[in-house]
Amino acid sequence: MTTATTVLFVVFGVLAALSALYAVLTRYLLRSIVALGAFLTALAGIFYLLAADFVAVVQIFVYVGGIVVLMLFALMLSSSGVRHPTASSDRRSLGSIVAYAVGGMLVWASLRSTLPGMPAALPDSVPYLGRAFLNEQLFPFELIGVILLAAVVAALALVRKERA
Amino acid sequence: MRDLLVFGWGLALGVVAFSLVGGLTAAFVLLERKVSARIQLRVGPLHTGPHGMLQTVADLIKLVVKEDVRPSRADPVAFRLGPLLTAVPAILSLAVIPFGGPLLMRGLNVGVVYFLAVPGMTVIGLLLAGWASYDNYSFLGGLRSSAQFISYEIPRTLAVVAVVMLAGSLNTVDVAAAQQPWPYILLLPLGFVVYMITTLAEVNRVPFDIPEAESELVAGYHTEYSGFRWALFFLAEYGALFAAAAFATLLFLGAGSGPFLPDIFWFVLKTLIVVFLFMWIRWTLPRFRADQLMRLAWKVFLPLSLVNLVLAALVMQAIGPR
Amino acid sequence: MTPVLVLSGILFAIGVFGVLTRRNAITMLVSVEIMMNAANLNLVAFSRLHEPKLMTGQTFAILGIGIAACEAAVGLALILAIYRRFSTTDVDHLDLLKG
Repeated sequence: MTTATTVLFVVFGVLAALSALYAVLTRYLLRSIVALGAFLTALAGIFYLLAADFVAVVQIFVYVGGIVVLMLFALMLSSSGVRHPTASSDRRSLGSIVAYAVGGMLVWASLRSTLPGMPAALPDSVPYLGRAFLNEQLFPFELIGVILLAAVVAALALVRKERA
Repeated sequence: MRDLLVFGWGLALGVVAFSLVGGLTAAFVLLERKVSARIQLRVGPLHTGPHGMLQTVADLIKLVVKEDVRPSRADPVAFRLGPLLTAVPAILSLAVIPFGGPLLMRGLNVGVVYFLAVPGMTVIGLLLAGWASYDNYSFLGGLRSSAQFISYEIPRTLAVVAVVMLAGSLNTVDVAAAQQPWPYILLLPLGFVVYMITTLAEVNRVPFDIPEAESELVAGYHTEYSGFRWALFFLAEYGALFAAAAFATLLFLGAGSGPFLPDIFWFVLKTLIVVFLFMWIRWTLPRFRADQLMRLAWKVFLPLSLVNLVLAALVMQAIGPR
Repeated sequence: MTPVLVLSGILFAIGVFGVLTRRNAITMLVSVEIMMNAANLNLVAFSRLHEPKLMTGQTFAILGIGIAACEAAVGLALILAIYRRFSTTDVDHLDLLKG
């Protein structure tokens, strides 16, 4: 990794971790969703640094431009009058123990494992991605279209007002 | 060390871009007032400076020195974030436009998707602004804008996909180069029409400006804003307009190709013509109703954009692989 | 490579913490999204390490983003339906089956 890549990785990494932490800790739903947006954007930056530029823009396109907006929309429809903080939880100690255990295990495993250094990135990932999606990954690619359709129908069926 | 220099250079370019968009906004507001005046048989701003050319500069100074008013029940964080999140993506999206000359930036292999993705963040800003204002008009404006944006994003993206199919690349510089003999407006006229109309909806301009419809919602999501924050909304609106026009030039009008003069001249000229077209439409057509708008997106433009995809495939077969 | 894995582990743990401690349905959805993104980060990182030309990890990450979109749509529709019925999105209040 070059100097600038390392610096940017640290910046985006810290940004991602802090905004994720804020998203799960804040008691205001709106701020939580906005922090999720910041987290996703920072992660898109990391994807770009890992030479996955298409994944990075898809992340911004689908997550930040789609899912976060959808979440804000749902929040505003479900509690337009409520601006108070949500109830704080009573399971904080249990949650933090499990989270420390899971996180500690993952970090310990990745620190202990011997991995080869990062190989040089491909100059342009897009043609390879296109080829992969139309050859090896064709079936999952088609399948995700079916799943998306099913999800749209399911969402419509769930929110449709029942006629008496 | 060299990387850090490049990084610093990028930061400096960002600052320059921000100030350029600021200046551009002032110029476009003046242009819009003059165009609207001409269409409505008026004269428009006339007294500040020669032909009223300094009117928007005066307005800008007024806006900046104005008191910053915030409704007492507004959510302070979201109220401040709203205008920022609206304005920044509009400026960021300019990064991949290959204006030509010294402004021909070939950094991103996925520039076309980037341009479609980044303005999507604007919606978050609009929603936040509308919600934080604690005002029904603002709230309705914010909700309308996000519903509209998400609906029109689909046909717009499909119209762009047709261009990408013909160009065979997601890099904006390659898309510009691929149009060397014929610009894509000749090969994909339907795609151009779909792109232009859905773009009008994306940048919230008449006839699709229901998020800020004056006759129903006072001013939509920016009803409660004043001073500098309100100026940021204006900056976002005209920055997005300029970026969308530049993108139309890139995708359909042959980018910077033209005789004799340098690329950058033709690119900016074509972009300004598209901007003028948008203004002309704004001051000529009435506004749609919210339900008509949704029907138009899903029942007219989505099928049309799919037809356009098929047409693009036929054109590809006709002119052979690139 | 290791820094990316460490970051992903930390992010995943933050997501776990959120799912376990928050009782609001929307915040829980936010936490699940954080966990999915931590997994995506690993997929993208390993994509470069293992057969980079096949792009297996990156294609999986993109498919995962698609699945996340489905999940968010259905999940939010559920939350809206629940809100209509119970006027709350706090999962602790959904106790109709309690004897």
